[in-house]
Amino acid sequence: MASESERRPLGVFECQLCALTAPYSYVGQKPPDTQSVVLLEESYIMKDPFTSDKGRFLVLGSRCSLCSRLVCVGPECSLFYSKRFCLPCVQKNISAFPQEIRQDLEKRKAPPKRPSSQPGYRT
Amino acid sequence: MPFPRTREGRDHRDHHQAPSEEEVLEKWDWNCPETRRLLEDAFFRDEDYIRQGSEECQKFWIFFERLQRFQNLKTSRKEDKDPGHPKHSIPALANLPSAYDPRYRINLSVLGPDTWSSRGIGRRLPMERMSEFRRAMLHYLDFGQKQAFGRLAKLQRERAALPIAQYGNRILQMLKDHQVVVVAGDTGCGKSTQVPQYLLAAGFSHVACTQPRRIACISLAKRVGFESLSQYGSQVGYQIRFESTRSAATKIVFLTVGLLLRQIQREPTLPQYEVLIVDEVHERHLHNDFLLGVLRRLLPKRPDLKVILMSATINISLFSSYFGNAPVVQVPGRLFPITVVYQPQEVEPTTSKSEKLDPQPFLRVLEAIDNKYPPEERGDVLVFLSGMAEISTVLEAAQTYASHTQRWVVLPLHSALSVADQDKVFDVPPPGVRKCILSTNIAETSVTIDGIRFVVDSGKVKEMSYDPQAKLQRLQEFWISQASAEQRKGRAGRTGPGVCFRLYAESDYDAFAPYPVPEIQRVALDALVLQMKSMSVGDPRTFPFIEPPPPASLETAILYLRDQGALDNSEALTPIGSLLAQLPVDVVIGKMLILGSMFSLAEPVLTIAAALSVQSPFTRSAQSSPECMAARRPLESDQGDPFTLFNVFNTWVQVKSERSRNTRKWCRSRGIEEHRLYEMANLRRQFKELLEDHGLLAGGQAVKPGDSYSRLQQRRERRALYQLKRQHEESRGRRRKVLQLQEDPGGCSSDEDQAGPASQGADDGVDIQDVKFKLRHNLEQLQAAASSAQALTRDQMALLKLVLGRGLYPQLAIPDPFNSGRKDSDQIFHTQAKQGTVLHPTCVFASSPEVLYTPEQETRGSERTRDVKDKMSSQHQLLTFVSLLETNKPYLVNCVRIPALQSLLLFSQSLDTNGDCSRLVADGWLELQLADSESAVRLLAASLRLRAQWESTLDWQLARKAQQRPEEEEEEQDLLASCKEMAALSRELLQFMASKVPYSLRRLTGLEAQNLYVGPQTITAAPRLPSLFGSSTLSPHPTKGGYSVTDFLTYNCLTSDTDLYSDCLRTFWTCPHCGLHMPLTPLERITHENACPEAPQDGPAGTEEDAPEPLQKVSALQRPFHCEACQKDFLFTPTEVLRHRKQHV
Repeated sequence: MASESERRPLGVFECQLCALTAPYSYVGQKPPDTQSVVLLEESYIMKDPFTSDKGRFLVLGSRCSLCSRLVCVGPECSLFYSKRFCLPCVQKNISAFPQEIRQDLEKRKAPPKRPSSQPGYRT
Repeated sequence: MPFPRTREGRDHRDHHQAPSEEEVLEKWDWNCPETRRLLEDAFFRDEDYIRQGSEECQKFWIFFERLQRFQNLKTSRKEDKDPGHPKHSIPALANLPSAYDPRYRINLSVLGPDTWSSRGIGRRLPMERMSEFRRAMLHYLDFGQKQAFGRLAKLQRERAALPIAQYGNRILQMLKDHQVVVVAGDTGCGKSTQVPQYLLAAGFSHVACTQPRRIACISLAKRVGFESLSQYGSQVGYQIRFESTRSAATKIVFLTVGLLLRQIQREPTLPQYEVLIVDEVHERHLHNDFLLGVLRRLLPKRPDLKVILMSATINISLFSSYFGNAPVVQVPGRLFPITVVYQPQEVEPTTSKSEKLDPQPFLRVLEAIDNKYPPEERGDVLVFLSGMAEISTVLEAAQTYASHTQRWVVLPLHSALSVADQDKVFDVPPPGVRKCILSTNIAETSVTIDGIRFVVDSGKVKEMSYDPQAKLQRLQEFWISQASAEQRKGRAGRTGPGVCFRLYAESDYDAFAPYPVPEIQRVALDALVLQMKSMSVGDPRTFPFIEPPPPASLETAILYLRDQGALDNSEALTPIGSLLAQLPVDVVIGKMLILGSMFSLAEPVLTIAAALSVQSPFTRSAQSSPECMAARRPLESDQGDPFTLFNVFNTWVQVKSERSRNTRKWCRSRGIEEHRLYEMANLRRQFKELLEDHGLLAGGQAVKPGDSYSRLQQRRERRALYQLKRQHEESRGRRRKVLQLQEDPGGCSSDEDQAGPASQGADDGVDIQDVKFKLRHNLEQLQAAASSAQALTRDQMALLKLVLGRGLYPQLAIPDPFNSGRKDSDQIFHTQAKQGTVLHPTCVFASSPEVLYTPEQETRGSERTRDVKDKMSSQHQLLTFVSLLETNKPYLVNCVRIPALQSLLLFSQSLDTNGDCSRLVADGWLELQLADSESAVRLLAASLRLRAQWESTLDWQLARKAQQRPEEEEEEQDLLASCKEMAALSRELLQFMASKVPYSLRRLTGLEAQNLYVGPQTITAAPRLPSLFGSSTLSPHPTKGGYSVTDFLTYNCLTSDTDLYSDCLRTFWTCPHCGLHMPLTPLERITHENACPEAPQDGPAGTEEDAPEPLQKVSALQRPFHCEACQKDFLFTPTEVLRHRKQHV
């Protein structure tokens, strides 16, 4: 194998809502080893463990812009709408969010008809 | 915080654009390759997140098309504008975007080309389209993030759901307070994958986890690496015999038990580890049991070392109490309910005692499943059979059934399959089709296959058992233990409720032994004892094994090692023994390697030793194909099987080095399992390195300078190979493939082809094994060795056989005297302990037995019609063999023919003579009757001298290697001296082997063997004539009678009617060297000859020229060349050929 300049993990990220843990190697808005992508929030990032490509990163989570809780990006814990909001905060301030987001949350609350982990843009 | 402005969010256009923008927009086509290329040029450059031409890039376009379709749908029913929200009082909420746009939900942004170099592209790509494209990219990246995060979360959920997850903290806690903890849990509880990760998480960074099998090391390292999210990092690694992914960053290493023991051998306190996990201790492998003993002794010396024993829930108290009542964490398995169906076979095969298994009961189960369960209900079948032969029997029948019903894919699974073939069992069958895996007990614990719903248990297992008396390995079929039966059953309940069909009665089950017999109680312990000696763990008899081996096995092993010269009389390791202990091979093969390198035969011996250490490369199925057999014939050597293997390997290497040729095909047409040849190449290399490490072989030859062009060429080739390998690894990241229904049920089962078209599409027919081989080995060097092998001279061949013979001694067999009257396949041979052994069908002597027949001695006048048994000839031969394996018959495996008299004189541990030495008995079972006492004495004397010389040369060489390297010059001199010495010894040995003396050879009957010796004599008048005896003093042999001349030769101890007083019978004799002429007994003659001051030391003078030339270092360009002009054979490079031809002009 080629020489590996492995980044040492800075610490362990832990979601304060779902307790998901993972080691992170960078916190900030400019993921290392890539020039063309910037993040719109201060994020906890690890190297994407599912690919051998060095430049790939995976955003684990960031702080809720209301309560500053550290939350993961999982749809059960937080959402991003121009900034990060943890779901409890969204619920509390649901009226501040556009209808699309409200609908989304409604859907999520209802028993998922399909595995809701299917992200993306399919109907 | 201000609203972060996404760069692509600005849609006001810069209007100093070309006016034709509208037109461009009209004609815009996302699918136009030119357009796509422009966009890729702009956005997917080398430093970008997505690179042009990558797999990622293709994925993007697929995603892009889907997104387009989706957005078209959406825009068509575009809702009216969001009314807008009242400004919120909380600042963070106050400046949310007023109009909803999905892009606000994406937390990243792409820097487009406009930030760095927009001009060129901007003109060709309209801004609107650019931002559309960039938005798609955003969605793509976001999608990728969500997908990866989803996988991460799923992984964690699954880990948390494992039964062992509840016990992680408890295990860690216990490890704080105790040095040893036993973790007991059944398959599926997750102990092997999770415990190492708990240790990592708890901050341990030097963890070793041993596995009994190599496959498990690799797959666990991969799995744990994946789960602990460092799959492509290096925190988790594995280390097996030929491969290691270990690096400085490695925190957990999975390794085989054997390898860990070798590490302990080097560093007895194992300083490199903090925690040691010993997995699968319940399997009770030889090495594992030994490791436990070693650890028990080590623990007090390493109070900081922690040990975790992991076991199935079998006999846990045994392990706990062995380590001073170590605490046990018992984890429940996760099993669904399993229904057990007993289906004893009604008719036991009593009448037809055919060896073949009846596949019918197995087919009936398949049929029953077809009838009872609808095909849409998934669930595969796992059948446990006792061995490979049984698997192929059932495979054949089941494939016929499968092609009939089109509802089954039948796959074999056993350890002799290549890894690629083994991997097939993890692939998924197409819908409506079930997978039926026919497996040995490998699937009981080591290989776990998901989706199994039905288990069919034959209740049988084939295991090696060892008969210490006959030194015979037996592969026998046994009933399994209750523990194994439960284990097998459990395989049906891993993913859902299951059914276990037991093809035996419940009463049989009740009669099964509770646990399997530990390996240590049923195998040869030679290697173990040798290892114990080299690790200085004291007397093996008193070693605190968890359950001690049978004392008889230990004694046999110790005796054997003494016979082999690995232990001395006080059972201490000899120099050769300590070397042997470091070679990870059988003692006999180790000996061959050492001897071979001393006679400058290292290259051929390396190959032969490697060939004898792997399973036979000849496939079983080829046996019935005349084409295969005919294609193999030119590779056969009538000297013996090891030489056939030698030819196979060498020819294979030659084929490989001819660029265009495909060795896979070459192997297939000859019925050769190529995988074995790769293993040989790996082993060969390992042996070579070991010999080099121990100074037995000059280290890696200086790199040939070569011209810069060829070096460049080489480097380029290597780079290309690496590239191929990487591509292969990336494209193949173990994606499950869909199995295909077999079309031809009769086809060979293990052929790579069958998976071929389906699985190799991506590889473009790249033979990844070949690529790896070329990366690992220096093909040029191998090829040089191979071509020099083809040019082995007669002398070298004879020496090679001598080396093999000495290595393999005392594994000898004598052909039955009546063999020439038997059919080819019925040739019988006898070993000392076992009568009536036969040859394996693949053995060269089974197909051409005539090379073993002894030609009648050219009419010796008088008694032509002597009993066949006492046929006089100078060409009797013995077989020396690598192992004796009993399956349905006792088979001699890997035989070489050797001249009988000379070999026995040189190798026997015990040689007994009569008064005039015309009758010799070797090792108490083979009798040699020489026609002429004169030549008998001469040969005996010569053999004594040669043995002494051989021994001392060996010792001297080994002692020299053991020392640290002396000064350079000294070494040069030493080397020269030892070369000379070896050359002289080889020459004399060859002369000795070539001696032609007529004699008869036979195996003593039991009764004769019992009454062989005269026994201790009352009149112990030692022969006088002290001046002729040199330094050696003769003493009467205490049990045999006669006199011990050396530790192996006893003179005149054989009973016979005539020669009771023959040691007193002197006849006049003239010493050929000093001219001494006086009446001497034969014994006195021998001793005189040995001590004669006039006798030449280095063999007869004047023969220097025809010394066997050491194997020349052969350049890759050299080829055998026969010169017509001078009728000689050479090994020449093309230029040498030209030069030589010029001479004759």
